Amino acid sequence: MLNRVSQTVCASALITSLAAIGGSILEVKPPNGVDFTLQNSPTPQKYLIETMPGGVALLDYNNDGLLDIFLVNGGRIDPMHPENFDRHDPRYWNRLYRQNKDGSFTDVTEQAGLANAGDGNYGMGVAVGDYDNDGYPDLYITNYGKNILYHNNGDGTFTDVTAKAGVAGGGWSVSAGFFDYDNDGKLDLFVTRYMDWDMQHSKDCGGNFHTYCPPGEFPRSTNILYHNRGDGTFEDVSQRSGIAARKGHGLGVAFADYDGDGFTDIYVANDGMQQFLFHNNGNGTFSEVALQAGAALSLDGGPLSGMGVVFQDYDNDGKPDVVVTTLPRQTYAVFHNDGSGLFSDRGLQTGVSMLSGVTSGWGVGLEDFDNDGQKDLFISQGHVLDNVEAIDPSLHYLEPTLLALNRNGRFERVDPGTDALVSGRGAAFGDLNNDGWIDAVTTVLGAHPQFFINRGGNAHWLTITLRGTRSNRDGLGARVQVNGQTRFATTAGSYESANDKRLHFGLGSAKSAQIEVFWPSGTRQVLSNIAADQFLEIREPERP
Amino acid sequence: MIRTILILWLAWQTASPEAIQHLEAGRQAESERHFDVALAEFRKVTELDPAFPAGFVSLGQACMEQRDYGAAVAPLKHALELDPNLAAAHRLLGYALLAQGYAAEAIPHLARVQEQSALGIAEIETGQFSEAIANLQAALQKRPNDPDLLYYLGRASGLLSKQSIDALLAANPDSPRAHQAMAENYFVLRRMPEAENEYRQALRLRPDVPEVHLELGQVYAGSSQWAKAEQEFRAQAKLQPGNAETAYRLGTALLEEGKVHEARVELLRADRLMPDMPETLYSLGKAASLEGDAAAAEKAWINLLSIEKQSSLAAQAHFGLAALYRKQGKTAEAQRESQAFESLQNSSNQTQPGK
Repeated sequence: MLNRVSQTVCASALITSLAAIGGSILEVKPPNGVDFTLQNSPTPQKYLIETMPGGVALLDYNNDGLLDIFLVNGGRIDPMHPENFDRHDPRYWNRLYRQNKDGSFTDVTEQAGLANAGDGNYGMGVAVGDYDNDGYPDLYITNYGKNILYHNNGDGTFTDVTAKAGVAGGGWSVSAGFFDYDNDGKLDLFVTRYMDWDMQHSKDCGGNFHTYCPPGEFPRSTNILYHNRGDGTFEDVSQRSGIAARKGHGLGVAFADYDGDGFTDIYVANDGMQQFLFHNNGNGTFSEVALQAGAALSLDGGPLSGMGVVFQDYDNDGKPDVVVTTLPRQTYAVFHNDGSGLFSDRGLQTGVSMLSGVTSGWGVGLEDFDNDGQKDLFISQGHVLDNVEAIDPSLHYLEPTLLALNRNGRFERVDPGTDALVSGRGAAFGDLNNDGWIDAVTTVLGAHPQFFINRGGNAHWLTITLRGTRSNRDGLGARVQVNGQTRFATTAGSYESANDKRLHFGLGSAKSAQIEVFWPSGTRQVLSNIAADQFLEIREPERP
Repeated sequence: MIRTILILWLAWQTASPEAIQHLEAGRQAESERHFDVALAEFRKVTELDPAFPAGFVSLGQACMEQRDYGAAVAPLKHALELDPNLAAAHRLLGYALLAQGYAAEAIPHLARVQEQSALGIAEIETGQFSEAIANLQAALQKRPNDPDLLYYLGRASGLLSKQSIDALLAANPDSPRAHQAMAENYFVLRRMPEAENEYRQALRLRPDVPEVHLELGQVYAGSSQWAKAEQEFRAQAKLQPGNAETAYRLGTALLEEGKVHEARVELLRADRLMPDMPETLYSLGKAASLEGDAAAAEKAWINLLSIEKQSSLAAQAHFGLAALYRKQGKTAEAQRESQAFESLQNSSNQTQPGK
């Protein structure tokens, strides 16, 4: 039942982190071997897709215990042939980098069968999930164009199974995520779509300034829900489930069971309008309840330019909260889960409002960077308009990355390890070097990704890998409680990105942990007196 | 109105029967909007009776009705040569000259007949902003809410303000007020670092210069630097403890910092200093709600809704009340407030196309 896959790393009497003594927790350190540049190809025509990529995923595709990196590329935009994108050209490929034992990376894109993302596809995001429960994580790539499902063959290669699976979607997809909405043990797929837009009907806004248009200039679109039939194919149940009943400007998506009814719910960050909270009715249908739940609008009732979203418990009350990143002149929303299906905006009390207001947030994570037992806030930032200074000199296209440590429910800005100003977009979180401390990778328009490597400290930690048996194999959707903290197992969230599936807990000074797992199958599993500082695999009991 | 006066005046003018006949034919054609015919008739009147001022006035007016202000000037001037006291001719000539851009030349004619609206506009053109404001305000007394008059009054006031500031900057370029004026300019342009620098210079020269702390606080608030904003608002509150706006802004800064209780204290003070300000009431309700005082929040927002029913603040108050009632389990009330909120949002969206 319990299989420990790693030994205890350290146990120090001095519990501290670098932040506590005034240093930076993270350092920005590009690893050897990652030479990716996110080619968004900005043009004078201001095609809106140019400012929206791209995703990053942290996954262990070859199950060697080391996190690998997948990066989504945009494409080349030639106004003479605007729907081409030249994805056969290696400069515009998505890239898979395999991590080597020495921490360097090797580009394995071509040998993995992931080269050439299909002409006509301008890349956006990535989702990771083992949809066929074969033990190897599969990849789903969202595009402006057709989406692609790559099945992981388990031998270091992938096969494009989109056509067979029936998940190409179409239009402009942005973020996606695997989750099991009907608890049948097979991962389903949710895809956000931004708007009904195409290159031929593009336009610029801002008069003489020529800016990217706000989403309200284009019709809203529906999101897509695919049900996994379990035979390698999916059924589009967007209509039947009620998901397609609401049109929006969907960007980010995150999953958690916010009302504890045992069924995973969906939160969609919409740009320039109310946000969506799709409550899972438990019978294959969803009801959009954000407004009545108090999780749709700002504290003052204003629409939000929702970009990225994370659905985790920031205040250790056991209930998942929502953080939505937005554009300037709004503040990032913190919807605290008050229980009884209600949320309240706690942007002011948590200090998050103070941290935003003039910045644009995209990828976002609630992760415990200093292992003190409280989830911290990390946000990839950069304005949507590359000429915003000309319109409003008080705003900036290039922005710093935000790291804010959680001090008993209040977030305080700290040095993220770099003062570089970037046009940040995607962000993924995971323990890249398996040292027990969470790292982050962000994507930057027109530039290399940024690697935020945790410098570590002495606090204790525990990293859990779930091994579902009756539930889906990776236990996505499980609620895991460790020493009073709660995480909801998911690879989704952030913006266009996919996180390490392992669940990381900072334990502070605690050298052992009490663990409770609530599996999607309904099984509750308790593990007591588990030693800290280890990577632990928890296998779901075969029988309830 | 001009036309009525003209008709009455013409009634006691004397001219040859033939000229009068053409005059009446011209007026008839004019009323039927046959302006070419009218023009020909009036021109005939001036030819038949060159000493008959009404003929020239009618000809000028006909030209103006055809928007040919340049052609109107000569007959109207001739009419005034024949009779310098012709009010109608002065009025029409004033308008014609103003329309042609000859504001200075138009002013004596418009002043002569106290045509205050046009006079005010002409005075803006000639840089007599104080006089323009006085005349436009007088005209507005007679035609309240006239959009053109309101626009020109606003423009005249703005230009007067600019004139004063220009004079200030020229005469006292390094004075606290000059730096304050520069700062305000930068603030409008959203050039916050420059605005901050100018305000700082103003304070360095005169630490107690009125309003500067308040304005500098708004610079910080505009860039979400709430701790600095609080500091400046506090400095202003120390200088002017009776200033309700300062108390309100200090309250909102504290609220943004999450210092909910302190915010409430300041907002209550603002409410005492200037009761029933909708902005204060809204923030007061918000602070009370965040502090968990549902009764006080409800009271503030209901008070606001008794003052404003259609504004964006009213919508926000309905939204706040809906959340409040939802938490209290008052489903019907929450539903009602939600509907009121959505109704105001929808009407607002209909008047704001685009995003």
